[in-house]
Amino acid sequence: MIGALRSWWDNFRGAGEAAVTVPPMDGALRPNRAIEDGDLLHAAAAPDNLTVVDERLLFTAGHEIFELGGGRKKTKPVATFGSDITALACSPDGALAIGLAGGGIRLDGGAHDGKSFDAFDGKRLVCVTALLFTSADELLIANGSAKRSAAEWKHDLMERNASGSVWKLDLKSGKATLLADRLAWPYGLALTPKGDVAVSESWRHRIVVIPRQGGAPKPVLEDLPGYPARLSPAPDGGLWLAIFAPRGQLTEFILREAEFRKRMMADIAPDYWAAPSLKASSTFLEPLQGGAQKHLGMLKPWAPTRSYGLVVNLDAKFHPTASFHSRADGTRHGIASAVEQDGRLVIASKGGDAVVGIDLKGEAR
Amino acid sequence: MSAEPLIEMRNATKEYRGVPAVTNVNFVLNKGEIHALLGENGAGKSTLTKAMAGVTQLTGGEMLLDGKAVSFSTPAEALANGVAMVFQETSLVPSMTVAQNLYLGDENLFNRIRGLNIAAQTFLQSLNFNVNPTAIVSGLGAAHKQMVEIARAVRKNVRVIIFDEPTASLTPEEKHHFFSLVERLKQRGVSIIFITHNLEEALQIADRITVLRDGELVVSDATSAFDRDKIIRAMVGRSLSNSLYRKHSGAGARPTGDKVLSVQNLSMGNIVKNTSFSVYSGQITGMFGLIGSGRTETAKIVSGVFKRNFFNGGEVRLRDQSVRYRVPRQAVKDGIVYVTEDRKIEGFFETMSIAENLHMGQLAAGLEKGTVVSMSEMKALAAEWTKALGIKAIDHNARVIELSGGNQQKVVISKSLVQKPQIVIFDEPTRGVDVGAIAEIHQLINRLADEGLAVVVISSYLPEILNISDRILVCRSGRVVEEFSPEEATDEKIMFAAVH
Repeated sequence: MIGALRSWWDNFRGAGEAAVTVPPMDGALRPNRAIEDGDLLHAAAAPDNLTVVDERLLFTAGHEIFELGGGRKKTKPVATFGSDITALACSPDGALAIGLAGGGIRLDGGAHDGKSFDAFDGKRLVCVTALLFTSADELLIANGSAKRSAAEWKHDLMERNASGSVWKLDLKSGKATLLADRLAWPYGLALTPKGDVAVSESWRHRIVVIPRQGGAPKPVLEDLPGYPARLSPAPDGGLWLAIFAPRGQLTEFILREAEFRKRMMADIAPDYWAAPSLKASSTFLEPLQGGAQKHLGMLKPWAPTRSYGLVVNLDAKFHPTASFHSRADGTRHGIASAVEQDGRLVIASKGGDAVVGIDLKGEAR
Repeated sequence: MSAEPLIEMRNATKEYRGVPAVTNVNFVLNKGEIHALLGENGAGKSTLTKAMAGVTQLTGGEMLLDGKAVSFSTPAEALANGVAMVFQETSLVPSMTVAQNLYLGDENLFNRIRGLNIAAQTFLQSLNFNVNPTAIVSGLGAAHKQMVEIARAVRKNVRVIIFDEPTASLTPEEKHHFFSLVERLKQRGVSIIFITHNLEEALQIADRITVLRDGELVVSDATSAFDRDKIIRAMVGRSLSNSLYRKHSGAGARPTGDKVLSVQNLSMGNIVKNTSFSVYSGQITGMFGLIGSGRTETAKIVSGVFKRNFFNGGEVRLRDQSVRYRVPRQAVKDGIVYVTEDRKIEGFFETMSIAENLHMGQLAAGLEKGTVVSMSEMKALAAEWTKALGIKAIDHNARVIELSGGNQQKVVISKSLVQKPQIVIFDEPTRGVDVGAIAEIHQLINRLADEGLAVVVISSYLPEILNISDRILVCRSGRVVEEFSPEEATDEKIMFAAVH
């Protein structure tokens, strides 16, 4: 009763849970142009799912897997599937696990070559957002939503769903164990030094740690200024966290207005929703991209924006220590995946259609 | 510049209850010169000048005005002889308007208020002071009050004006106006004594500089004979220049700790507008901004002194928990303390002793052990903090009003630190404090950050911000607009962000 009154009062005042506020990007998240100034390694439509396999760097674009070239080596396709690839992971024995847009997971190579999984405990895997091998025989799976596919992420956010789940799959027996459910779009997986599972939960703007045997998620990094995506290990024991879109006061406000969202979703095409976006603005029809911050035809980098490029370095305690940005006036936005290889951070800008490299030795962290 | 002496103090001595405040000082003020009087708090600057202005009387030596021995028993007598003093603490009547204050004492039997306002407006405009003559003084900010105070002295058409810390609360632009005014007064043949702690100002504006230390004159010479280091050596007897004014290299900046405080889209009326920033433990976050940029108000909202907007006032998150304080006590209990910029009004109970003031701090934090106050515990507390912060006082029962500015500031800081805070917000921690005490206060602030506390230092003094901060936030028009790391920050960059 008191909780309900509190909620009503907060709603009335715009306070507490109903405060339409966004955390600042300062401290370790202080904006810079590092991603915008990074080297273009390859231009591809919506690159994603960067994965290191035996010193080869793979990424996906649409329904193809590519191996990133370098030096004299050219970027080349290594596999093609019937539908878009939503997640990719590599096992210690070189096998690939591929999440597909049509639903389910397929294994390619290694001891379990050819196996596929479409449902666990009778629940269909409709939205595989992240995969992680803990050993050659065990795979962790993030199912972003039980109601929407990976391509319908905006719908899932605007419906304020929290139907995601994380599973542990024994590839030998095919037995799947539910580690956690009711997650709000789990999008990234990583192992902590203790062997537990770190999960980035996009719609709650946080990272949680789930015990390897299952249990209640424990938040370790909260109130991020954007929607977190994939996690990948950093050599110093920390993690790289990709943030695929920024939070904004307009979006936060709309997320509290159920009737408005309902009508917006019914009447307007998703590209023009007042919602986070992967791409920088391309048409005046889009809402408030740039706001009133255009001066003499130039968009100011600090303008309110629905899309952004951000990769954050976290230490072993999940504290942000450094970050790389592509700001409102940039184009390399919508970054869902980043990996470090040989002192270079490789970033897949899904919204900017680019794979970008940043030399970490040359960058002041 | 004429070298003809206007005021001469010969062997000037002033004792308070047998304790000498000024001893055998020989001071000369020439006609039409700007004379900077420098020294640490308690060096005797104010005592010497108060004797010139008739506020106090010398106990030894003599004062000559135009070569004739004089002794003013009241400020009015001094004023009648052309000597006026503008005090650090304004002597305006808070309930009256600016115009009424300007013409206070010169009223006719019947006054036309509109005429008074027009005259005041014309006069203020001639001084380039943007103050509304019909505004009630109590509603003015410190800078505007200072302007009215200065205008009142100028209006008296005096021959000598003594300014005691005139620029402490002025913005850079207002300071520029003030210095132009001083130059104009000088051209009109007015002699000016200028007490300041800001060495750059003294070097910039003064024709001659006199330095006092422990009530004695150390050196008096033309400004060209001085540099900053020489002045500091004369003031404190040792060189502090490197530690006080070096720029933070950035290499020694403390790493980012836990995010303990996140201020998000905070708003309060027209003063704080949608401002956001974070504060990290084990770090000094410097906050620079001009007067009116909303720094103090933001800090006061965070610490529960002010309230944010009732509707959509934003959010303050303390360790990821949303908090909203109605009174400062709640913030203190959560480990947030605010060390005020206006220590005389908000910082301490001036007629109470050091021990009582520190005990008040404990009471506010709810750290008292019982309902009966233990005098011995109170004394022990005072002894502990007096030693820890090097507060110089006769004993723990000394009233705070009797201490010098630097020691008063240390009492204010101690009063906050006894509350065992996790986040300390210092607002202008070294305003009106001498260079020796500045160094000690800076060391203390650094020590707090080294111990893992989250420290915020609000300052409008750029060298201080550049020296002490591990990260620098710049405020403008009610919000944080820019962040700099120490290695990239420069005076120009910070000032540009604060103004444009």
